[in-house]
Amino acid sequence: MAVKRQLSMVLDLNKCIGCHTCTSACKLQWTNRNGREYMYWNNVETRPGTGYPKNFHEMGGGFDQDGALRLGKEPSAEDYGVPWEYNYEEALMTGTDPWLRPNVKPTWGANWDEDEGEGHYPNSYYFYLPRLCNHCENPACLAACSRNAIYKRQEDGIVLIDQERCRGYRYCVSACPYKKVYFNEEISKSEKCIFCYPRIEKGLPTACAKQCVGRIRWIGYRDDKDGPIHTLVDKYKVALPLYPEMGTKPNVFYVPPLSPPKIDEAGGAMAESRVPLDYLESLFGDGVSAALDTITAERAKKAEGGESELMDTLIGYRHAEMFKLS
Amino acid sequence: MRRTIATLTAFAMLSTPTLSAAQSMAEANVKLIEAYDTVKVSTIPDGIYLRTVNDPDDIIWERLPEYRVAMSPAPAVHESVELRVNYDAEVSYLNMTLAKTSERFYVRLRWVDDTRDTATAFDRFRDGVAVQFSLGDDETSYMMGDGPDSAVNIWYWRSGEDAVQNLAAGGPGSTTLLEEQPVSGESQYFDKDGDPNEWTVVMSRPIKAQGAHNVSLDRDVVPMAFALWQGAEKQRDGLKSVSEGWIMLDMASE
Ligand code: SF4
Ligand code: SF4
Repeated sequence: MAVKRQLSMVLDLNKCIGCHTCTSACKLQWTNRNGREYMYWNNVETRPGTGYPKNFHEMGGGFDQDGALRLGKEPSAEDYGVPWEYNYEEALMTGTDPWLRPNVKPTWGANWDEDEGEGHYPNSYYFYLPRLCNHCENPACLAACSRNAIYKRQEDGIVLIDQERCRGYRYCVSACPYKKVYFNEEISKSEKCIFCYPRIEKGLPTACAKQCVGRIRWIGYRDDKDGPIHTLVDKYKVALPLYPEMGTKPNVFYVPPLSPPKIDEAGGAMAESRVPLDYLESLFGDGVSAALDTITAERAKKAEGGESELMDTLIGYRHAEMFKLS
Repeated sequence: MRRTIATLTAFAMLSTPTLSAAQSMAEANVKLIEAYDTVKVSTIPDGIYLRTVNDPDDIIWERLPEYRVAMSPAPAVHESVELRVNYDAEVSYLNMTLAKTSERFYVRLRWVDDTRDTATAFDRFRDGVAVQFSLGDDETSYMMGDGPDSAVNIWYWRSGEDAVQNLAAGGPGSTTLLEEQPVSGESQYFDKDGDPNEWTVVMSRPIKAQGAHNVSLDRDVVPMAFALWQGAEKQRDGLKSVSEGWIMLDMASE
């Protein structure tokens, strides 16, 4: 779907510390009320892991080889995790309840499997994967909507749901292979990440990017040849989309994580990296190997005191350079 | 106003169909109607009232002729429906009773439904039923109209709330809630021991129409069609079963 300009985001997984500040920023801004309590428009999941909602990648959606919509599944409340609250007032203030406890029995939630990862010491591994709506070039959510309630803005490619037109059919929820459309039971309509468009329109970055402690996020227009997106995605090709085979052409890109070598029984370094290449390729496709090679080479250059445009960009010295919103 | 024994008896004598105590879907005297058949709208004489405006279980209904139409999966008009539709689904039936007083038009609908689905929640959908009227004649497409000049008026009921939505459409995907909401309704779910469970829904509207896209019932023939959603089968939107073609309501019969 051709738009005049496309805003995109790049996230460097080498820098994410899994602090969830992005998620908290998003939640406070948009989803802590009015039937959205269970939603995480932005979430940070541990990989390898089930993801959020639970096993979303096995729920189908997206497009097949011929570009036809594939049937997807709608997650259950348990797949997301039923949100709970604590009785702070009673337990800590008035003392009317001796126990601090949740109001529903927690059985699952986003990050239930946090930091579990895979493998055994000394070769255990995991990394963090922050996720939000990809504001796709070919949005499955949009294609699936029989009401034409979903649209992609010409000026910045942000994908939005027209709340007046939405009738809560949820074809979009099952069609999005990233499960980034959520059904609001309170209003019987679907809702999703709006890329903080009211902030964008004021020249501000999204809340998740602005608050990011690890400074892992860049925002800019794809066609801005001097901007960070073009540098990372098109020039150096170190930022890749998640699950490109789903056919939606995401506009959120990830710099895959480098990892130290695996250690053999004698304690020596092996040729393989701790995070297996084929696992990274199952997430980010064919470009992973070349991207990791480029980063390794540019890192070495910089370490030796040389110049590296790529490293200077990835370091993210100044917010003004990380967020190019015009 | 409550009916008196005297008016009830008078009414019973006025109406011709046989009185049957137990109404079951397999009832022999429920006439099967087909596309473009004409169906007489019964007249409820002045002075006879339902217990409440849209009482689905009022004894009056047993005294009026009941018809039924075959309902089959609607042809998919969107990829999302195509992905889910089951054209091999068994044909189901929708029973209907059509009546009018000098002021109101009533339609009572009855169908078999094993499960009572009344919540819109994660992966859960509600039962629903809709009647559709051509604003013009039977040239209008019975599949939700075709374009703004060939529109239909739809009354849509869904379980869990007895508000009937008054809608208009000029083709699939164009359904719009109208400003005027003159249609009211009431429903009852019969959890029957032995017999299949049933929904019964009554919708009614004053015969006089106000506003554009509100069907005029003040004419001799009104084309009408039907749609049914089974929540347990995750039906919503164009994922529904429909009657084929228009049923022609004979409004002029006394
Ligand atoms: S990530 Fe999902 S919700 Fe967002 S634009 Fe793509 S298909 Fe739509
Ligand atoms: S705020 Fe930044 S560093 Fe923290 S979890 Fe989110 S993306 Fe990672």
